[in-house]
Amino acid sequence: MVKQGVIHIHRSMGRVILYALLCLAFFPSLTTAAVSDPASVFSAANNFIAAGDYQKAIETLGAIPKPDPNTSGSDFVKSRIQTASLYHALKQTKKAQAACHDVLELFPDNKEARNFLIALKKEEIPFYILFFRDCTRFLPSLLKGAVLTLALTFLTMVISPLGGLFIALGRMSRFKSFAGLCWFIIWFFRGTPLLLQLFFIYYGLPALGITFSPFTAAIIGLSLNYSAYLGEIIRGGIESIGHGQMEAAKAIGMTYTQAMRRVIIPQTYKRLLPPIGNEFIALIKDTALVSTIAMVELMRSADQMFNTYFNVNVLIIAAMVYLAFTTVFTLVFERIEKKVGAYENR
Amino acid sequence: MKTGENVILHLENITKKFGKVTAIDQVTLSVKAGERIVIIGPSGSGKSTLLRAVNILEEIDHGRIFFKGDPVGYTAIKGKQILDSPKNISRLRSKIGMVFQNFNLFPHMTVLANIMEGPVTVLKKTKNEAEKTARDMLKKVDLSDKWQVYPATLSGGQKQRVAIARALAMNPEIMLFDEPTSALDPELVGEVFNTILSLAKEGMTMIIVTHHMGFAREVADRVVFMEKGAMVAEAPPEKFFSACMENKRIADFIQNIL
Repeated sequence: MVKQGVIHIHRSMGRVILYALLCLAFFPSLTTAAVSDPASVFSAANNFIAAGDYQKAIETLGAIPKPDPNTSGSDFVKSRIQTASLYHALKQTKKAQAACHDVLELFPDNKEARNFLIALKKEEIPFYILFFRDCTRFLPSLLKGAVLTLALTFLTMVISPLGGLFIALGRMSRFKSFAGLCWFIIWFFRGTPLLLQLFFIYYGLPALGITFSPFTAAIIGLSLNYSAYLGEIIRGGIESIGHGQMEAAKAIGMTYTQAMRRVIIPQTYKRLLPPIGNEFIALIKDTALVSTIAMVELMRSADQMFNTYFNVNVLIIAAMVYLAFTTVFTLVFERIEKKVGAYENR
Repeated sequence: MKTGENVILHLENITKKFGKVTAIDQVTLSVKAGERIVIIGPSGSGKSTLLRAVNILEEIDHGRIFFKGDPVGYTAIKGKQILDSPKNISRLRSKIGMVFQNFNLFPHMTVLANIMEGPVTVLKKTKNEAEKTARDMLKKVDLSDKWQVYPATLSGGQKQRVAIARALAMNPEIMLFDEPTSALDPELVGEVFNTILSLAKEGMTMIIVTHHMGFAREVADRVVFMEKGAMVAEAPPEKFFSACMENKRIADFIQNIL
């Protein structure tokens, strides 16, 4: 027994010496501490923790040896649990789990280690499940904003082609002053940033006694801007139809209006669809600009939630909603394109 | 104005300038009901411009146009000639059929819809009425089986015959043909000429601009030769192709054509 005990002492002494040497090599500040003493090991580790150096704290705690089967081993358990929580703080989940397992190997009934291990396992959930959880968490509010985004988009999509047609016909008008006015509208709204136009309508016009609700201001700004762009696109489309078509329509007695409505404009649809589809996809994204005039649409609600939770998934989900919208638009436009103007290929 | 019996169209001293170029130089021409006028002449001689001036597709600078005895297209205010209201001009055009060199069918409409378009939109006829007329006209140009296709699928000759049907559907008082076969492959020219000839037999009044002397000889009551915007000669075909050949310029022109 005695012999065995001596050997054991020798062994543990050897270990202590080894750790002391290690400490000597790596932790000069600890050279004075007697590392064989658990209390001083813990206090040294606490010093490192207080200093924020978790890695060194973990290495220090490693000095607590595995206990004999017949000793309590409470120091060992304490050191391993602390090591586990330090690893956890360092986001090294695998090593934290290993530390818990060290305890459970010797003390399978240790509740503290077991509970910690369960908590760690929970944290190991794959990112896509976490992302899905974030979706269910953030999507409802984002979709509320998205409804407004869609409302702005659709209203502008209805108003701006009409405005664009008006401006296009206006630019081709025989009445020079009216043609000039339409030229001016295009020049102004294409030549200044949409953001500035929105600011002017919402924050600037009240100074002149004209006040709009944010929604009205947004619709006015978007519609004017997009009418100007579509106006030029539509004019290009109309002018691309051969002159003979207008002459043939006039020759059977049609007025200019009848010829435009029945003969010229229907022929522009197929040519206008691709560029107008482009504009509408730009429009979906441009609605994000109205977040600057107190409208909580998709972008704004994403921004608010990101600032609350600092969770980058919010932005990713918002991007996915925008992509979903633009994808649906693209597909719908491709469909319409195939149907309209099939006469050219028949 | 001088009113001959059933003069449908009377042009009086028509002049049209494009900048410094005189496209039509004081042309006077009367067309009686049922009469077929063929206008020939070198390109750039103003034939097409004259035809387009008749239904005001080209605005003239001087002269007057009378349609069935009434001055049309322009009103004189203080000696200045001013274009009539668009409404009146459209009404005039609805009574004058025009067939273009390049057909100008409406590509987005079926053959039937092309022919129905004028009667429905301009004459405000019902769809049923217009469709009946359109089918009659298609029969007339011998294209009854093509009523539901789009123009892109037709040959040039078929396109031109549809264009003729489209003009006829308006029940015009006079038909204007602006080089109706110039854009056609030679083998398709005949079918269009035959259609025009059958119209002539029915007594349709028409002015035809063409380069085909054989057709001119066959269809014309009178042949008009234009050069540099002016009417150089005007005679019935027999006389034109014999006596007028003494005019060296005309003889050269016809020689070149043949």
